[in-house]
Amino acid sequence: MKIKQKALLALVFGFVCFQSLRAEAAESSGTAAAQKEGKLVIYSSTDSASVEPLLQDFKSLYPFLQVEYNDLNTTEVYNRFIAETASGSGGADLLWSSAMDLQLQLASKGHALTYASPEISGLPKWAVWQNQAYGTTFEPVSIAYNKRLLPADAVPQSHADMIRLPKEKPELFKEKIATFDPEKSGVGFLMMTQDAKVFPQFWDLAKTLGSSGAKVYTSTGAMLEKVGSGEHYLAYNIIGSYVLLRQKKDPAMGLVLPKDYTLVFSRVAFISKTARNPNAAKLFLDYILSKRGQTVMSEKSLVYSLRSDVPGNITAAGLTKELGKALKPLDVNTDILAGLEQNKRLEFMKQWQAALKR
Amino acid sequence: MNRALRSLAVIGVALVVFGPLGLIIYQSFLSEAFFSPTAHLSLEAYRYVLADSGFHSAFGTSLLVSLGMTLISVPLGSLLAFLLARTDLPGKKWLEPWLLVPIFLSPVVLAFGYVVAVGPVGFFSLWAKALIGRVPWNLYSLFGLVLIAGLTHVPHAFLYVSSALRSLDPAVEEAARVAGAGVWRIALTVSLPLVLPSILFSASLIFLLGFELFGLPLVLGDPAGLLVLTTYLYKLTNLLGVPSYHLMAVVALSIVALTFPLVYLQRRLLRTAGRFAVIGGKGQAFRPLPLGALRWPAVLLLVLWLAVTVLLPLVGVTLRSLVSSWGEGVKLTEVLTLDHFRELTGYPNLVRGIVNTLLIGAIGGALSVVFYAIVGLAAHRWQSRGVSFLDYLVMLPRALPGLIVGLAFLWVFLFFKPIAPLRTTLFSLWIAYTVVWLAYGLRLISASLLQVKPELEEAARVIGARQRLVYRDVTLPLIRFGLIGSWLLIFMMFVREYSTGVYLLGPGTEVIGSLIVSLWGTGAVDLISALSVIEVGLVGFILFIALRLGVRLHA
Repeated sequence: MKIKQKALLALVFGFVCFQSLRAEAAESSGTAAAQKEGKLVIYSSTDSASVEPLLQDFKSLYPFLQVEYNDLNTTEVYNRFIAETASGSGGADLLWSSAMDLQLQLASKGHALTYASPEISGLPKWAVWQNQAYGTTFEPVSIAYNKRLLPADAVPQSHADMIRLPKEKPELFKEKIATFDPEKSGVGFLMMTQDAKVFPQFWDLAKTLGSSGAKVYTSTGAMLEKVGSGEHYLAYNIIGSYVLLRQKKDPAMGLVLPKDYTLVFSRVAFISKTARNPNAAKLFLDYILSKRGQTVMSEKSLVYSLRSDVPGNITAAGLTKELGKALKPLDVNTDILAGLEQNKRLEFMKQWQAALKR
Repeated sequence: MNRALRSLAVIGVALVVFGPLGLIIYQSFLSEAFFSPTAHLSLEAYRYVLADSGFHSAFGTSLLVSLGMTLISVPLGSLLAFLLARTDLPGKKWLEPWLLVPIFLSPVVLAFGYVVAVGPVGFFSLWAKALIGRVPWNLYSLFGLVLIAGLTHVPHAFLYVSSALRSLDPAVEEAARVAGAGVWRIALTVSLPLVLPSILFSASLIFLLGFELFGLPLVLGDPAGLLVLTTYLYKLTNLLGVPSYHLMAVVALSIVALTFPLVYLQRRLLRTAGRFAVIGGKGQAFRPLPLGALRWPAVLLLVLWLAVTVLLPLVGVTLRSLVSSWGEGVKLTEVLTLDHFRELTGYPNLVRGIVNTLLIGAIGGALSVVFYAIVGLAAHRWQSRGVSFLDYLVMLPRALPGLIVGLAFLWVFLFFKPIAPLRTTLFSLWIAYTVVWLAYGLRLISASLLQVKPELEEAARVIGARQRLVYRDVTLPLIRFGLIGSWLLIFMMFVREYSTGVYLLGPGTEVIGSLIVSLWGTGAVDLISALSVIEVGLVGFILFIALRLGVRLHA
């Protein structure tokens, strides 16, 4: 009996050893293939400054890879990729962009390589689409406000407050609210359509924005700058990570994560099917999804990380502790493409224009 | 130059212009992206855009902005050119480099400088508010946009007109003076009419630039809900979720269509180009016209323009680069910092971006001037249909908005295989820039060429010089100031240019413009301001050295 048990134990032990050896071999063969490629081309909408710590750390892991990081805006990522693919001259190995809809559209049209990252087990289910498109971050959509100029009792804590407060204090809020222009900004459009889905009174909110003379913008940068200066007192629907970056410099910048519900966006990454350096791209995808990469992301880049096993405040775990069920992540799947449907889109824009008129 | 060579030059220009333009025309007649396998011929794009009320109002606003800014910048620019080139205006040597700042500063930065200075909570606005209880101006309005666009394009007109004025034979002005005409009268009836070609060229170019404005209306027009054609294009990129190239192509072509009446008008007005030849055979020493009693009013005008157009935005940008926050309720003394400059030093690719920008401006600019000079000489004194064709041709690329032209060049370098290998080098960027500024450089050179009297070239020919020798020893030396002037102009244009090359840039070929756009995305306006201050300092220094070394815009 004892001998049998020991034998079994040895067998199990041997099997485990063998398995881990095999995994290691697989991994190192991937690394070897990447080493042969020697290069990695990334098109990304994450700006160079905030991606720098990630790239540094990645390069320290794989010093043999020469990383060509192209910092573009979301439309440029899309335009450049489809033209290059159609001409057959190749370009990006990995696309990483915050335009979730454009990314999924490309993936759903067969531009993404199917690759089951070993990090999948550490990710929430909603963040992975068909082992092709991966959500990489967990970014709350917030309200940014000016602490110096907006009295504490006038700071909205929920979407309901966004309707109530401007009505109660019309003088204070007159022309002092900024938000995205859904007609000109794809991300803005996505946020507003999600709002409309989750929040039954969204159109009341839109009308309130209209009656208080809210100004609409195409860039987060312009909005935050103007909230900082007091030209506006608050900006509605701002990706939280940018507010955090701003807070480092401007102590008057305030951040509210609405208590009733907080939308969560995720920058989506996928490997191009026509990638010249697919193995190097796999290494990078694995890295940004790994605990190590996500920790750097949260601590150094101030971008909210996705994995639940990364501790800290700028993480999914931290947000869940604070907001729990109020978090409404936008799933990484093709439902999002409904927003690209022409008639629905035009209908929404029309409704928005009508609501914004005083 | 013989006929074959001339035709070759025209064909060459036609190729580089019609490459990108042809693609856009083709694209406008399709149902989706031209490289998509399901694309088919369709007039749908025309039907949609031409029926869209948004397009109509955007076109109207653009027309208004263009007209307004041309009416402001051309007269003012011509006047300033006369004052600086032909009169004894005090301190002109020191004022001149400042005049050129709006040319090389990114329009977004320029506009933001105004926001920081005179926006609703700008430094000057808050002073005014403290003083009289309210802000007496509104930056975000059609009037504000037209005024700022007009004032900041004064240098474009100035450079053209002054370079032509400088080659003017002083004898004609001297004659007017002897006959008893005052300085004001000489300017209006003698000097400026004689450089009419340059004035008209600059007017039509500035008019086209008005349609192509993007940074200014984005920053100043958006808060007021003003939609111009370029911001309408921006809307089209997002309208259907994915960029709709066929719709964008139609909008671009609507601007291209405008160039035809524009060039036609210009040609009609200049039918007798010989009238303008005034670099005569007998040289005469240049003596600046004495301004007399008009001296100080003239200085006042110049200083006033400088204050509003250069000082105001520059002070805004500089202040922004030195504070951690600004606006209502902020005490300046508490927020002063040098951190942004320190932070920039740690920014990736900063040095490379600056070096690339200067390379493209200086060396690329020089190469472009050589190219423009060759084309200019090919068309010089050539009475042929080829030349009128050329007149229309060169204007076309500048009529395409930056958002489109950048895409078109990407497509050309992707789908036209023989030049595909150039795509990832700075060379592709240089080609794109050279094509887009074709009208600018070429007009500058041909305006100078027009002023060389045929008698000088004929004299050389009589003593047996062949055409090539005539150009080398007579024509080119006579227009050397025009060449250098246009090099400086092109240098500054290239330093600022960004959107044309946006899809051709990559790691290793980044320029200041791309760094600014990247920083804008995260809202790092403080870093953008610091970067712009460095840029102004650097380019200003180069200008200063160039002027000291004897590179002159004026005789």
